[in-house]
Amino acid sequence: MTKLSRIVSELEKGDIPLEKAVELYGDGLKLSAMCRKQLDEAQIKITEEDGAAVPEK
Amino acid sequence: MPVITVTQINKYIGFILKGDKNLQGIMVKGEISNYVRHYKSGHAYFTLKDSESAVKAVMFSQAASRLKFQPEDGMSVIVSGSVNVYERDGAYQIYVNDIVPDGAGAASVALEQLKKKLAAAGIFDEAHKRPLPEMPRKIGVVTSLSGAAVRDVINVLSRRYPIGEIYAVNAVVQGEAAPDSICRGILCAEAAGCDVLIVGRGGGSDEDLSAFNAEKVAYAIYNCKVPVISAVGHETDFTIADLAADRRAPTPSAAAEIAAPDVQLLYEKIAQLERRAERSALSALDRASERFIALNARLLAQSPENRLKLSGMRLDELEKRSKTAVQHYLDRLSARLGENIARLDSLSPLKVLARGYSLVYKDGRLLASSDGLSSGDTVELRFGSGGAKAEITDKW
Repeated sequence: MTKLSRIVSELEKGDIPLEKAVELYGDGLKLSAMCRKQLDEAQIKITEEDGAAVPEK
Repeated sequence: MPVITVTQINKYIGFILKGDKNLQGIMVKGEISNYVRHYKSGHAYFTLKDSESAVKAVMFSQAASRLKFQPEDGMSVIVSGSVNVYERDGAYQIYVNDIVPDGAGAASVALEQLKKKLAAAGIFDEAHKRPLPEMPRKIGVVTSLSGAAVRDVINVLSRRYPIGEIYAVNAVVQGEAAPDSICRGILCAEAAGCDVLIVGRGGGSDEDLSAFNAEKVAYAIYNCKVPVISAVGHETDFTIADLAADRRAPTPSAAAEIAAPDVQLLYEKIAQLERRAERSALSALDRASERFIALNARLLAQSPENRLKLSGMRLDELEKRSKTAVQHYLDRLSARLGENIARLDSLSPLKVLARGYSLVYKDGRLLASSDGLSSGDTVELRFGSGGAKAEITDKW
Protein backbone atom coordinates (compact mmCIF):
# COMPACT_ATOMS: atom_id res chain seq x y z
CA MET A 1 0.00 0.00 0.00
CA THR A 2 2.80 2.37 0.92
CA LYS A 3 4.65 1.30 -2.19
CA LEU A 4 1.51 1.89 -4.25
CA SER A 5 1.19 5.41 -2.82
CA ARG A 6 4.82 6.04 -3.69
CA ILE A 7 4.36 4.88 -7.24
CA VAL A 8 1.31 7.08 -7.68
CA SER A 9 3.20 10.08 -6.31
CA GLU A 10 6.04 9.31 -8.72
CA LEU A 11 3.57 9.13 -11.59
CA GLU A 12 2.02 12.42 -10.58
CA LYS A 13 5.34 14.22 -10.76
CA GLY A 14 4.57 14.84 -14.43
CA ASP A 15 7.31 15.33 -17.03
CA ILE A 16 8.27 11.68 -16.72
CA PRO A 17 8.94 9.85 -19.97
CA LEU A 18 6.15 7.69 -21.33
CA GLU A 19 8.13 4.45 -21.01
CA LYS A 20 8.68 5.19 -17.33
CA ALA A 21 5.02 6.13 -16.86
CA VAL A 22 3.87 2.92 -18.51
CA GLU A 23 6.25 0.90 -16.38
CA LEU A 24 5.11 2.64 -13.17
CA TYR A 25 1.47 2.32 -14.11
CA GLY A 26 1.95 -1.40 -14.73
CA ASP A 27 3.71 -1.81 -11.38
CA GLY A 28 0.95 0.19 -9.70
CA LEU A 29 -1.79 -1.96 -11.16
CA LYS A 30 0.01 -5.10 -10.07
CA LEU A 31 0.40 -3.71 -6.57
CA SER A 32 -3.21 -2.58 -6.29
CA ALA A 33 -4.39 -6.00 -7.45
CA MET A 34 -2.10 -7.54 -4.88
CA CYS A 35 -3.42 -5.25 -2.13
CA ARG A 36 -6.98 -6.08 -3.06
CA LYS A 37 -6.24 -9.77 -3.09
CA GLN A 38 -4.59 -9.49 0.30
CA LEU A 39 -7.64 -7.70 1.66
CA ASP A 40 -9.99 -10.23 0.09
CA GLU A 41 -8.14 -13.18 1.47
CA ALA A 42 -7.09 -11.70 4.77
CA GLN A 43 -7.90 -13.72 7.83
CA ILE A 44 -7.11 -12.20 11.18
CA LYS A 45 -4.35 -13.98 13.07
CA ILE A 46 -4.91 -14.45 16.77
CA THR A 47 -2.30 -15.44 19.30
CA GLU A 48 -3.29 -15.89 22.90
CA GLU A 49 -0.64 -15.61 25.51
CA ASP A 50 -0.93 -16.41 29.19
CA GLY A 51 0.65 -13.31 30.64
CA ALA A 52 1.07 -14.92 34.03
CA ALA A 53 3.49 -17.45 32.53
CA VAL A 54 5.85 -14.72 31.36
CA PRO A 55 8.73 -14.26 33.78
CA GLU A 56 9.10 -10.78 35.15
CA LYS A 57 11.86 -8.70 33.59
CA MET B 1 -0.90 12.08 103.06
CA PRO B 2 1.57 9.95 101.06
CA VAL B 3 3.87 11.58 98.58
CA ILE B 4 3.66 10.19 95.03
CA THR B 5 5.91 10.66 92.02
CA VAL B 6 5.18 12.29 88.65
CA THR B 7 5.47 8.91 86.99
CA GLN B 8 2.95 7.49 89.39
CA ILE B 9 0.43 10.22 88.71
CA ASN B 10 0.84 9.96 84.92
CA LYS B 11 0.49 6.17 85.11
CA TYR B 12 -2.62 6.59 87.26
CA ILE B 13 -4.23 9.02 84.87
CA GLY B 14 -3.43 6.63 82.05
CA PHE B 15 -5.09 3.87 83.98
CA ILE B 16 -8.19 5.99 84.56
CA LEU B 17 -8.41 6.94 80.86
CA LYS B 18 -7.97 3.34 79.70
CA GLY B 19 -10.78 2.30 81.96
CA ASP B 20 -13.17 4.88 80.60
CA LYS B 21 -15.23 3.36 77.78
CA ASN B 22 -16.06 6.89 76.52
CA LEU B 23 -12.41 7.41 75.65
CA GLN B 24 -11.55 4.00 74.17
CA GLY B 25 -12.37 2.82 70.65
CA ILE B 26 -13.93 6.13 69.69
CA MET B 27 -14.26 8.11 66.49
CA VAL B 28 -13.33 11.78 66.53
CA LYS B 29 -14.09 14.29 63.86
CA GLY B 30 -11.76 17.21 63.14
CA GLU B 31 -9.33 18.90 60.82
CA ILE B 32 -5.73 17.77 60.45
CA SER B 33 -2.97 20.29 61.10
CA ASN B 34 0.79 20.11 61.62
CA TYR B 35 0.87 16.69 60.03
CA VAL B 36 4.37 15.21 60.22
CA ARG B 37 5.46 11.74 59.32
CA HIS B 38 8.67 10.92 61.11
CA TYR B 39 11.10 9.96 58.38
CA LYS B 40 12.85 7.29 60.43
CA SER B 41 10.19 5.64 62.54
CA GLY B 42 7.36 6.18 60.09
CA HIS B 43 5.05 7.31 62.90
CA ALA B 44 2.68 10.13 62.01
CA TYR B 45 2.09 13.05 64.38
CA PHE B 46 -0.56 15.67 63.93
CA THR B 47 -3.05 17.90 65.69
CA LEU B 48 -6.75 17.34 65.31
CA LYS B 49 -8.74 20.49 65.77
CA ASP B 50 -12.11 22.10 65.35
CA SER B 51 -13.11 25.76 65.61
CA GLU B 52 -12.50 25.93 69.34
CA SER B 53 -10.14 23.21 70.47
CA ALA B 54 -7.25 21.03 69.48
CA VAL B 55 -5.90 17.67 70.56
CA LYS B 56 -2.60 15.94 69.77
CA ALA B 57 -2.79 12.73 67.78
CA VAL B 58 -0.30 10.05 66.89
CA MET B 59 -0.53 7.21 64.40
CA PHE B 60 2.10 4.54 64.54
CA SER B 61 3.89 3.55 61.37
CA GLN B 62 2.15 0.23 60.86
CA ALA B 63 -1.30 1.83 60.96
CA ALA B 64 -0.11 4.85 58.97
CA SER B 65 1.27 2.71 56.14
CA ARG B 66 -2.09 0.96 55.82
CA LEU B 67 -3.73 4.26 54.81
CA LYS B 68 -4.84 4.34 51.19
CA PHE B 69 -4.43 8.10 50.98
CA GLN B 70 -1.98 10.66 52.23
CA PRO B 71 -3.33 12.77 55.15
CA GLU B 72 -2.73 16.47 54.60
CA ASP B 73 -3.08 19.60 56.66
CA GLY B 74 -6.53 21.13 56.37
CA MET B 75 -8.18 17.82 55.54
CA SER B 76 -11.45 17.06 57.36
CA VAL B 77 -11.26 13.57 58.71
CA ILE B 78 -12.75 11.13 61.14
CA VAL B 79 -10.10 9.30 63.14
CA SER B 80 -10.65 6.05 64.98
CA GLY B 81 -8.62 5.36 68.11
CA SER B 82 -8.37 5.80 71.85
CA VAL B 83 -7.36 8.61 74.19
CA ASN B 84 -4.33 7.88 76.33
CA VAL B 85 -1.52 9.57 78.19
CA TYR B 86 1.97 10.04 76.91
CA GLU B 87 3.63 9.49 80.25
CA ARG B 88 6.95 11.15 79.46
CA ASP B 89 5.27 14.51 78.78
CA GLY B 90 2.19 14.09 80.90
CA ALA B 91 0.12 14.86 77.86
CA TYR B 92 -2.92 13.10 76.65
CA GLN B 93 -3.38 12.38 72.99
CA ILE B 94 -5.41 10.30 70.58
CA TYR B 95 -3.71 7.12 69.47
CA VAL B 96 -5.10 6.71 65.96
CA ASN B 97 -5.67 3.34 64.21
CA ASP B 98 -7.36 4.64 61.09
CA ILE B 99 -8.27 7.85 59.37
CA VAL B 100 -11.07 8.26 56.87
CA PRO B 101 -11.70 11.46 54.99
CA ASP B 102 -14.86 13.18 56.13
CA GLY B 103 -17.13 13.41 53.10
CA ALA B 104 -15.41 11.79 50.14
CA GLY B 105 -14.27 8.20 50.65
CA ALA B 106 -10.67 7.37 51.41
CA ALA B 107 -10.31 5.64 48.06
CA SER B 108 -11.47 8.65 46.08
CA VAL B 109 -9.22 10.98 48.06
CA ALA B 110 -6.33 8.61 47.44
CA LEU B 111 -7.19 8.54 43.77
CA GLU B 112 -7.27 12.32 43.50
CA GLN B 113 -3.94 12.51 45.27
CA LEU B 114 -2.39 9.94 42.96
CA LYS B 115 -3.76 11.79 39.95
CA LYS B 116 -2.15 14.99 41.15
CA LYS B 117 1.13 13.26 41.79
CA LEU B 118 1.23 11.58 38.40
CA ALA B 119 0.17 14.77 36.67
CA ALA B 120 3.04 16.57 38.37
CA ALA B 121 5.39 13.82 37.18
CA GLY B 122 4.24 14.46 33.60
CA ILE B 123 2.65 11.04 33.15
CA PHE B 124 -0.49 12.59 31.65
CA ASP B 125 1.28 15.17 29.49
CA GLU B 126 -0.26 15.72 26.10
CA ALA B 127 3.23 16.09 24.67
CA HIS B 128 3.97 12.49 25.55
CA LYS B 129 0.92 11.14 23.75
CA ARG B 130 1.98 9.31 20.65
CA PRO B 131 0.03 8.99 17.42
CA LEU B 132 -1.42 5.57 16.70
CA PRO B 133 -0.03 3.68 13.70
CA GLU B 134 -2.21 4.20 10.65
CA MET B 135 -2.12 0.53 9.75
CA PRO B 136 -0.95 -1.54 12.69
CA ARG B 137 0.49 -4.95 11.95
CA LYS B 138 0.13 -6.49 15.37
CA ILE B 139 -2.41 -5.26 17.88
CA GLY B 140 -1.73 -6.25 21.48
CA VAL B 141 -4.68 -6.78 23.82
CA VAL B 142 -3.93 -6.92 27.51
CA THR B 143 -6.97 -8.05 29.45
CA SER B 144 -8.60 -11.10 30.94
CA LEU B 145 -8.83 -13.73 28.22
CA SER B 146 -11.91 -15.15 29.90
CA GLY B 147 -13.71 -11.80 29.86
CA ALA B 148 -15.98 -10.23 27.26
CA ALA B 149 -13.49 -7.48 26.42
CA VAL B 150 -11.13 -9.68 24.41
CA ARG B 151 -14.05 -11.24 22.50
CA ASP B 152 -15.34 -7.77 21.64
CA VAL B 153 -11.95 -6.68 20.35
CA ILE B 154 -11.52 -9.86 18.29
CA ASN B 155 -15.02 -9.50 16.82
CA VAL B 156 -14.54 -5.90 15.79
CA LEU B 157 -11.08 -6.45 14.36
CA SER B 158 -11.95 -9.61 12.41
CA ARG B 159 -14.71 -7.69 10.71
CA ARG B 160 -12.95 -4.37 10.21
CA TYR B 161 -9.31 -5.23 9.91
CA PRO B 162 -8.71 -8.86 8.95
CA ILE B 163 -5.24 -8.04 7.60
CA GLY B 164 -3.94 -7.46 11.11
CA GLU B 165 -2.78 -9.72 13.83
CA ILE B 166 -4.08 -9.83 17.38
CA TYR B 167 -1.77 -10.69 20.21
CA ALA B 168 -3.93 -11.20 23.28
CA VAL B 169 -2.16 -11.39 26.61
CA ASN B 170 -4.01 -12.76 29.57
CA ALA B 171 -3.99 -10.46 32.59
CA VAL B 172 -5.71 -10.48 35.94
CA VAL B 173 -7.89 -7.38 35.91
CA GLN B 174 -9.20 -7.29 39.43
CA GLY B 175 -7.95 -8.03 42.88
CA GLU B 176 -4.56 -7.50 44.43
CA ALA B 177 -2.60 -9.32 41.75
CA ALA B 178 -4.16 -7.21 39.00
CA PRO B 179 -1.76 -4.25 38.77
CA ASP B 180 1.34 -6.44 38.50
CA SER B 181 -0.40 -8.75 36.08
CA ILE B 182 -1.42 -5.85 33.85
CA CYS B 183 2.11 -4.42 33.91
CA ARG B 184 3.53 -7.81 32.94
CA GLY B 185 0.96 -8.08 30.15
CA ILE B 186 2.01 -4.70 28.76
CA LEU B 187 5.70 -5.69 28.79
CA CYS B 188 4.86 -9.04 27.21
CA ALA B 189 2.84 -7.49 24.36
CA GLU B 190 5.54 -4.91 23.81
CA ALA B 191 8.20 -7.62 23.66
CA ALA B 192 6.09 -9.59 21.18
CA GLY B 193 6.47 -6.72 18.70
CA CYS B 194 2.97 -5.26 18.86
CA ASP B 195 2.78 -1.79 17.37
CA VAL B 196 -0.24 -0.68 19.36
CA LEU B 197 -1.78 -1.96 22.60
CA ILE B 198 -5.29 -2.09 23.96
CA VAL B 199 -5.29 -2.35 27.74
CA GLY B 200 -8.52 -2.72 29.62
CA ARG B 201 -11.53 -4.69 30.62
CA GLY B 202 -15.28 -4.61 30.29
CA GLY B 203 -17.33 -2.21 32.37
CA GLY B 204 -17.63 -2.51 36.12
CA SER B 205 -18.14 -0.58 39.31
CA ASP B 206 -15.50 1.77 40.64
CA GLU B 207 -14.17 -0.99 42.83
CA ASP B 208 -13.56 -3.27 39.88
CA LEU B 209 -11.52 -0.66 38.11
CA SER B 210 -9.04 -0.11 40.91
CA ALA B 211 -6.28 -1.97 39.08
CA PHE B 212 -6.51 0.66 36.35
CA ASN B 213 -6.02 3.34 38.96
CA ALA B 214 -2.77 1.83 40.19
CA GLU B 215 0.35 3.93 40.01
CA LYS B 216 2.48 1.15 38.54
CA VAL B 217 -0.02 0.56 35.76
CA ALA B 218 0.14 4.25 34.90
CA TYR B 219 3.93 4.03 34.69
CA ALA B 220 3.80 0.82 32.65
CA ILE B 221 1.53 2.57 30.15
CA TYR B 222 3.66 5.70 30.14
CA ASN B 223 6.88 3.76 29.64
CA CYS B 224 5.48 1.44 26.99
CA LYS B 225 7.42 1.93 23.76
CA VAL B 226 4.32 1.71 21.56
CA PRO B 227 1.06 3.68 21.84
CA VAL B 228 -1.50 2.39 24.31
CA ILE B 229 -5.28 2.68 24.03
CA SER B 230 -7.10 2.35 27.33
CA ALA B 231 -10.44 0.59 27.29
CA VAL B 232 -11.63 0.39 30.84
CA GLY B 233 -15.27 0.38 29.97
CA HIS B 234 -16.35 3.27 32.09
CA GLU B 235 -18.09 6.15 30.40
CA THR B 236 -18.31 8.69 33.17
CA ASP B 237 -15.05 8.70 35.04
CA PHE B 238 -11.51 8.57 33.77
CA THR B 239 -9.24 6.06 35.42
CA ILE B 240 -5.57 6.82 35.82
CA ALA B 241 -4.88 4.31 33.04
CA ASP B 242 -7.14 6.40 30.78
CA LEU B 243 -5.23 9.53 31.61
CA ALA B 244 -1.84 7.90 31.08
CA ALA B 245 -2.83 6.19 27.83
CA ASP B 246 -2.15 7.72 24.44
CA ARG B 247 -5.82 7.34 23.54
CA ARG B 248 -8.85 6.53 25.65
CA ALA B 249 -11.77 4.45 24.45
CA PRO B 250 -15.04 4.10 26.35
CA THR B 251 -15.28 0.35 25.63
CA PRO B 252 -13.05 -2.43 24.29
CA SER B 253 -15.05 -2.43 21.03
CA ALA B 254 -14.45 1.28 20.64
CA ALA B 255 -10.77 0.73 21.36
CA ALA B 256 -10.62 -1.83 18.56
CA GLU B 257 -12.21 0.67 16.21
CA ILE B 258 -9.68 3.33 17.17
CA ALA B 259 -6.79 0.87 16.85
CA ALA B 260 -7.27 0.03 13.20
CA PRO B 261 -8.99 1.49 10.15
CA ASP B 262 -11.91 -0.24 8.47
CA VAL B 263 -10.72 -2.42 5.63
CA GLN B 264 -13.47 -0.84 3.51
CA LEU B 265 -11.55 2.41 3.65
CA LEU B 266 -8.51 0.57 2.36
CA TYR B 267 -10.46 -0.71 -0.63
CA GLU B 268 -11.52 2.86 -1.34
CA LYS B 269 -7.99 4.08 -0.92
CA ILE B 270 -6.73 1.49 -3.39
CA ALA B 271 -9.41 2.48 -5.90
CA GLN B 272 -8.49 6.12 -5.43
CA LEU B 273 -4.80 5.40 -5.93
CA GLU B 274 -5.66 3.46 -9.07
CA ARG B 275 -7.67 6.37 -10.43
CA ARG B 276 -4.82 8.74 -9.73
CA ALA B 277 -2.31 6.38 -11.37
CA GLU B 278 -4.52 6.05 -14.41
CA ARG B 279 -4.98 9.78 -14.74
CA SER B 280 -1.25 10.38 -14.52
CA ALA B 281 -0.44 7.60 -16.96
CA LEU B 282 -2.98 8.96 -19.43
CA SER B 283 -1.62 12.46 -19.16
CA ALA B 284 1.88 11.09 -19.75
CA LEU B 285 0.47 9.37 -22.81
CA ASP B 286 -1.17 12.59 -23.97
CA ARG B 287 2.06 14.49 -23.56
CA ALA B 288 3.96 11.83 -25.45
CA SER B 289 1.43 11.72 -28.25
CA GLU B 290 1.46 15.48 -28.62
CA ARG B 291 5.20 15.40 -28.92
CA PHE B 292 4.95 12.54 -31.39
CA ILE B 293 2.51 14.43 -33.54
CA ALA B 294 4.72 17.50 -33.56
CA LEU B 295 7.87 15.52 -34.33
CA ASN B 296 6.11 13.45 -36.97
CA ALA B 297 4.93 16.56 -38.73
CA ARG B 298 8.49 17.85 -38.80
CA LEU B 299 9.77 14.49 -40.04
CA LEU B 300 7.21 14.25 -42.82
CA ALA B 301 8.17 17.70 -43.94
CA GLN B 302 11.65 16.38 -44.58
CA SER B 303 10.65 13.16 -46.41
CA PRO B 304 12.00 12.66 -50.00
CA GLU B 305 8.47 12.36 -51.27
CA ASN B 306 7.54 15.65 -49.77
CA ARG B 307 10.70 17.27 -50.96
CA LEU B 308 10.01 15.99 -54.50
CA LYS B 309 6.54 17.37 -54.27
CA LEU B 310 7.92 20.63 -53.03
CA SER B 311 10.47 20.72 -55.88
CA GLY B 312 7.74 19.87 -58.37
CA MET B 313 5.66 22.67 -57.05
CA ARG B 314 8.59 24.98 -57.29
CA LEU B 315 9.30 23.85 -60.84
CA ASP B 316 5.72 24.46 -61.84
CA GLU B 317 5.88 27.84 -60.38
CA LEU B 318 9.13 28.69 -62.06
CA GLU B 319 7.71 27.46 -65.34
CA LYS B 320 4.65 29.55 -64.86
CA ARG B 321 6.76 32.54 -64.03
CA SER B 322 9.00 32.08 -67.03
CA LYS B 323 5.98 31.64 -69.28
CA THR B 324 4.44 34.85 -68.09
CA ALA B 325 7.75 36.60 -68.45
CA VAL B 326 8.05 35.52 -72.09
CA GLN B 327 4.47 36.42 -72.71
CA HIS B 328 5.03 39.87 -71.26
CA TYR B 329 8.03 40.32 -73.45
CA LEU B 330 6.15 39.28 -76.54
CA ASP B 331 3.22 41.50 -75.62
CA ARG B 332 5.54 44.42 -75.21
CA LEU B 333 7.21 43.70 -78.52
CA SER B 334 3.92 43.47 -80.36
CA ALA B 335 2.69 46.64 -78.75
CA ARG B 336 5.80 48.44 -79.94
CA LEU B 337 5.40 46.96 -83.38
CA GLY B 338 1.85 48.21 -83.52
CA GLU B 339 3.01 51.64 -82.50
CA ASN B 340 5.70 51.69 -85.15
CA ILE B 341 3.32 50.49 -87.79
CA ALA B 342 0.94 53.25 -86.90
CA ARG B 343 3.72 55.78 -87.09
CA LEU B 344 4.88 54.39 -90.42
CA ASP B 345 1.37 54.46 -91.62
CA SER B 346 0.97 58.13 -90.78
CA LEU B 347 4.14 58.89 -92.73
CA SER B 348 3.00 57.00 -95.83
CA PRO B 349 2.73 59.25 -99.00
CA LEU B 350 -0.54 57.57 -99.77
CA LYS B 351 -1.98 59.30 -96.72
CA VAL B 352 -0.73 62.68 -98.12
CA LEU B 353 -2.38 61.93 -101.42
CA ALA B 354 -5.59 61.19 -99.65
CA ARG B 355 -5.52 64.75 -98.35
CA GLY B 356 -5.51 66.08 -102.02
CA TYR B 357 -1.87 66.05 -103.00
CA SER B 358 -0.73 64.31 -106.21
CA LEU B 359 2.49 62.67 -107.34
CA VAL B 360 4.03 63.34 -110.74
CA TYR B 361 6.12 60.67 -112.46
CA LYS B 362 8.06 60.98 -115.73
CA ASP B 363 9.29 57.79 -117.23
CA GLY B 364 8.49 56.05 -113.92
CA ARG B 365 10.50 58.53 -111.83
CA LEU B 366 8.90 60.69 -109.25
CA LEU B 367 9.50 64.36 -109.97
CA ALA B 368 10.24 66.77 -107.17
CA SER B 369 10.79 69.80 -109.52
CA SER B 370 9.90 71.00 -112.98
CA ASP B 371 13.53 70.89 -114.12
CA GLY B 372 13.93 68.51 -117.02
CA LEU B 373 10.41 68.99 -118.19
CA SER B 374 9.68 70.43 -121.60
CA SER B 375 6.40 71.37 -123.27
CA GLY B 376 4.89 68.42 -124.96
CA ASP B 377 6.28 65.84 -122.46
CA THR B 378 3.86 63.29 -121.20
CA VAL B 379 3.74 62.69 -117.43
CA GLU B 380 1.80 60.29 -115.19
CA LEU B 381 -0.23 61.62 -112.27
CA ARG B 382 -1.01 59.59 -109.10
CA PHE B 383 -3.89 60.73 -106.91
CA GLY B 384 -5.04 59.44 -103.62
CA SER B 385 -7.23 57.18 -105.59
CA GLY B 386 -6.60 56.46 -109.26
CA GLY B 387 -4.20 58.04 -111.85
CA ALA B 388 -4.06 59.88 -115.21
CA LYS B 389 -1.70 60.76 -118.06
CA ALA B 390 -1.13 64.47 -118.85
CA GLU B 391 0.78 66.55 -121.40
CA ILE B 392 2.91 69.48 -120.31
CA THR B 393 1.84 72.65 -122.06
CA ASP B 394 3.94 75.13 -120.28
CA LYS B 395 6.65 75.21 -117.65
CA TRP B 396 8.18 77.72 -115.08
